[in-house]
Amino acid sequence: MGHEFNFMFRSELSEIPKYDAVFIRATTDPLYTAYVVSRTAWVLGLRVVDDPESIRICANKIHQYKLFEKYDVPHIPTLFLNKEEFHHRQIEEIFELFGKPVVIKAPYTSFSRYVEKVSCETSFREVAKRFFRRSDYIVVQKFMPSRFDWRVGVLNGEVLYVCKYMMPKGKWKHGVKRRGKPSFMWGRTVTLKRDNAPQRLKETALKACSVIGKGLYGVDIKEINGDYVVVEVNDNPSIYKDQEDLRDKDIYERIIKFLAE
Amino acid sequence: MSGASCVLVVSNIDLRTNAHITKPSVFLKSSVRDFILNINNDYRYMKTGYYVSLHAEILGNDVVPTTENAIDAYRLPVLLVRASKNGMPVMPHLVTDSVKQIMAEFNFPVVVFAVNPFSFNGFQTAKNRTALYRAVKSLSMNYRYAVCAQPLRSEILQVKSFFGECSIEDDGVREIAEKVYETFKIPVCKLLLQRFDKEAYLCGLQPLKLEEILPSDVDMISKIVSRFSGKGWFD
Repeated sequence: MGHEFNFMFRSELSEIPKYDAVFIRATTDPLYTAYVVSRTAWVLGLRVVDDPESIRICANKIHQYKLFEKYDVPHIPTLFLNKEEFHHRQIEEIFELFGKPVVIKAPYTSFSRYVEKVSCETSFREVAKRFFRRSDYIVVQKFMPSRFDWRVGVLNGEVLYVCKYMMPKGKWKHGVKRRGKPSFMWGRTVTLKRDNAPQRLKETALKACSVIGKGLYGVDIKEINGDYVVVEVNDNPSIYKDQEDLRDKDIYERIIKFLAE
Repeated sequence: MSGASCVLVVSNIDLRTNAHITKPSVFLKSSVRDFILNINNDYRYMKTGYYVSLHAEILGNDVVPTTENAIDAYRLPVLLVRASKNGMPVMPHLVTDSVKQIMAEFNFPVVVFAVNPFSFNGFQTAKNRTALYRAVKSLSMNYRYAVCAQPLRSEILQVKSFFGECSIEDDGVREIAEKVYETFKIPVCKLLLQRFDKEAYLCGLQPLKLEEILPSDVDMISKIVSRFSGKGWFD
């Protein structure tokens, strides 16, 4: 399409002003270099994906769920737990409300890390204590098992691709660490043509993204008794060859167009 | 912002003022519609001070500081870019994880700041190559994250700033403190500066620890808060 691109690494960050647009493919978190890049590019007026606002909302699940609550985006039943009010009564009330087990999420979760399922007070305390090290607030959610999560890729308020992230056999999340091994095990990806995906699914995904911004997102959605509930919206979604891009081949073209606009 | 008659002060510091003060944990459960003045020793990302501002914003309130500014101010490269855009003298700086690049750019001694999610007071000075390698290795957590390097021309001066007011008799420093507050609106923080050739230069901003806030500082913050909440905001 006549656009030139270069890869930029950490030692070349001072060259940001020379470009027209920046496309980030690195873990985005307000505390990582990627945010510095995004924010610098934004302040200098460049087109940037992911933009700093999206990074802030997607990298912090508390921020995100608060927005979902405010704008009535259907999402998994969620509550927030504060470091200071973390005691026996509170944990019991949570189990009463959500049943057992419950899912605990650190606000900075990504790639299925820092999401854990607990079904007793001891493990609740153990996990929460670990997550409280970096954040003064954490997320607790109802456990809703399913065979797969829908993953809807959205760019600039339009659906880009649709696929199913299958759970590995006997597991409850898409990426799980193997016991005793450093490696991760990922479930299969089943890709659909975006035109063939359920309309209500796509509407739910677009509604969730509309409260975040106009960038590139991957929306995780669970289908429960025919209803679609949002698990979370991710910025910087993975796009792998022959997986997410298998059915809709114009993904990359659309992203480049959006960057160059 | 002027003329806002209602200001809700949310503070984790015990202030001596007649203004109504709410604790962060109480505020975070409320759905108050008001102008929020968030007083905290630490507004860093994912700390309670940050979540107070976040909660206020999601409720649709105006708040000081905003979450955007809170994140920017503690991210050193962003702090310096925005500060220099607003006309403050800042130290030249380089964001990198390469020692060679730092040596090519600056003469010794240099000061190296951490740009990673974990360090609280992360900076080290280096007078020679060996020390620089050691500093970069430790502050970048074994080259996993970037660091921000600056030339070291004087001692690093640490100044407590409350609403841009500080207790140092130096016009250059005072002006920077005022302008940093004007730009980022961080009510309580510590500024890091260098002062040489009769000029002051901004080189960093950090949170204060609760124990660093002395009774005289509490008085100073209380006085400013009463002034703001009594007369309205930013008159």
